[in-house]
Amino acid sequence: MTDLAKQALAPPRSLVSGDALQILYRLLAALLICVVLSFLSDSFLSLGNILNVLRQASLMFFIASGLTLVVLTAGLDLSVGANVALSACLAGTVIQQTGSPTLGVLTGLATGGIIGLLNGMMVTALRIPSFIATYGMLWVLNGLTYWYMAGETIHGFPPGFRQIGSGYLFGLPIPVYLLLIFLAVGTIFAQRTTWGQEIYATGANPVAARLSGIPIARRLLLVYGVSGTMAGMASIVFLARLNSAEADIGESLTLPAIAAVLIGGTSLFGGVGTVFGTFVGALILTLVLNGMNLLSVNASWQPIVTGVIVVLAVWVDMKTRRRTS
Amino acid sequence: MIFCKLQQTKKGMENMKECQRLICAVLVLSGGFAARARADGETIAVFTKNQTNPFFQTVRVGADAAAKGLGAKTLHYIPTKPDSIPEQLSQIEDVVVKKPNAIVFTPVDYKAMVPGIEKVNEAGIPVVNITDRSAGGKFLAFVGADDYSLGLDTARYLLKTLGSKGNIVIIEGVKGSLTNVDRVRGFNDALKENPGAKLLASQPGNYQRLQALQVMENLMQSNPQIDGVLAANDAMAVGAIEALDGANRKAQVIGINGTREAVDAIKSGKLLASGDYNGFVQGCVGTMIAIRSLRGQPAVTEIVLKPTIITRDNYQPYDVPLESRTCPSWDEAAKLGTK
Repeated sequence: MTDLAKQALAPPRSLVSGDALQILYRLLAALLICVVLSFLSDSFLSLGNILNVLRQASLMFFIASGLTLVVLTAGLDLSVGANVALSACLAGTVIQQTGSPTLGVLTGLATGGIIGLLNGMMVTALRIPSFIATYGMLWVLNGLTYWYMAGETIHGFPPGFRQIGSGYLFGLPIPVYLLLIFLAVGTIFAQRTTWGQEIYATGANPVAARLSGIPIARRLLLVYGVSGTMAGMASIVFLARLNSAEADIGESLTLPAIAAVLIGGTSLFGGVGTVFGTFVGALILTLVLNGMNLLSVNASWQPIVTGVIVVLAVWVDMKTRRRTS
Repeated sequence: MIFCKLQQTKKGMENMKECQRLICAVLVLSGGFAARARADGETIAVFTKNQTNPFFQTVRVGADAAAKGLGAKTLHYIPTKPDSIPEQLSQIEDVVVKKPNAIVFTPVDYKAMVPGIEKVNEAGIPVVNITDRSAGGKFLAFVGADDYSLGLDTARYLLKTLGSKGNIVIIEGVKGSLTNVDRVRGFNDALKENPGAKLLASQPGNYQRLQALQVMENLMQSNPQIDGVLAANDAMAVGAIEALDGANRKAQVIGINGTREAVDAIKSGKLLASGDYNGFVQGCVGTMIAIRSLRGQPAVTEIVLKPTIITRDNYQPYDVPLESRTCPSWDEAAKLGTK
């Protein structure tokens, strides 16, 4: 037990480690996809398309980055998509009623964060397995959103607010800046802070983590809160980019976000993975879809290709990990 | 009763009296409800596919408006999980027990719901089929729109506007869904009539706004000139417009369903047209047929609504809140169909 405790309390790992190697593999995979696509399509390697892919990946990354922390603790947050939908609808209403984008943004983030904290409480105080707790939350949120929206669509927001989703600064889309900021903050938080390391330790071995004095309940509350807040963040970017929201926007967001986390090399069993890996995961999924659109791949084939890539990526990941350990 | 028995064994006779009083109260109340139901006229159970698609909201409001006008009342059955087959089946089982006077029914799946309809037929409850034509079962009538001609006519309108030429992309709905198959077939047939127009790509947006936006962003990368976009529903059409706006590009875009959002976009000149699937009238007429047949008045067995294209020339009647729209009169309704 003391060995485990020591392992759990090990000093923050350096950025060049087993994790870095895993990320390198993934970047190579993304690069390989890029090389193949650039041969198949003339328009793939244009600056416009690269920015386009990054902007598209950003929305998935916002959701998936918070989710990564949850998965690091061996949990799962299935409510992220439904969270995005409700947060977007509430934030949209507030912006239209008050005319204040600031209040709207705060509403979106707060809604997301509160939902996340509720998830966290169910997991910690009530000890409900996260899979069940967040699955239940998914239904409750869907019900609330459907009831609230009653089949209507909220649309039309002030141009200033819309800059968050569709604006440019020095030639780069605003969502790409947000992506870079959250990528940096997430990576530093997970790798370089005590709290981040405690999250890893909680996922790797909860018993050892508890024995070494980590306040597990509080850390779990934190990760679910962050996951919810990031869903709220995604809802704001969604609203600003799409200029409208309806009740069913979340449904198609959850599974791709989970896929991005898994392709990024975060283990469902906890304790292993990185936020940067998740970014690469989101990038790979977006690249594949982008490539299929550019090449006009038949609609029936697209989900098949995506599915095969998810399974393949996780399989290769498990193979290489076994070899390195 | 079982509840009362338990109470009896536990706490003796004193509670028994209270229990009887409770049962009395329940009986009186339910009797009262039953009497009120008769006084208020027939109860029509209305089945729709989901709570999320604005289209079905228009169907429900239409059904409510028709029922109110005729002194009947509606009871809505909507799966909590959108388009859930097992949920609609269990709702049918509910209805077979509750026995409303009639049912206005949209199958979440035109094949999978046939056994459910057979149960309703066995129970002897009259059913009107609306929106998606069921593959089996006995119905008083069918009221719906034809996705194929809707797709065909709306695409024709766009191609006419473009002068029968130009580069076109199609954004498809959910692959394999009945509505999508027919709408996209209509789009493609309209393109065949106009050999001057070139189909650049036909890609899936799964009826989702975000996916359509991203598909459009991607297609703009590989196609420097896109003149027309045929989207299989309004949410995707508006998503495609956002993508075009974001890239400072212009193209004529059409959608299908005639949603409130699409009407606003037509008004502001961003959307060229939307094929009206006319959920409101489907809800109205379906409910009217159900009530008329209950009252022994003549009704029709099939109304396939003629496609209406909402454009900037005729959007005004659609530019009102849903609740203030009025159902057509029966004489008007009977003339709306193609058959």
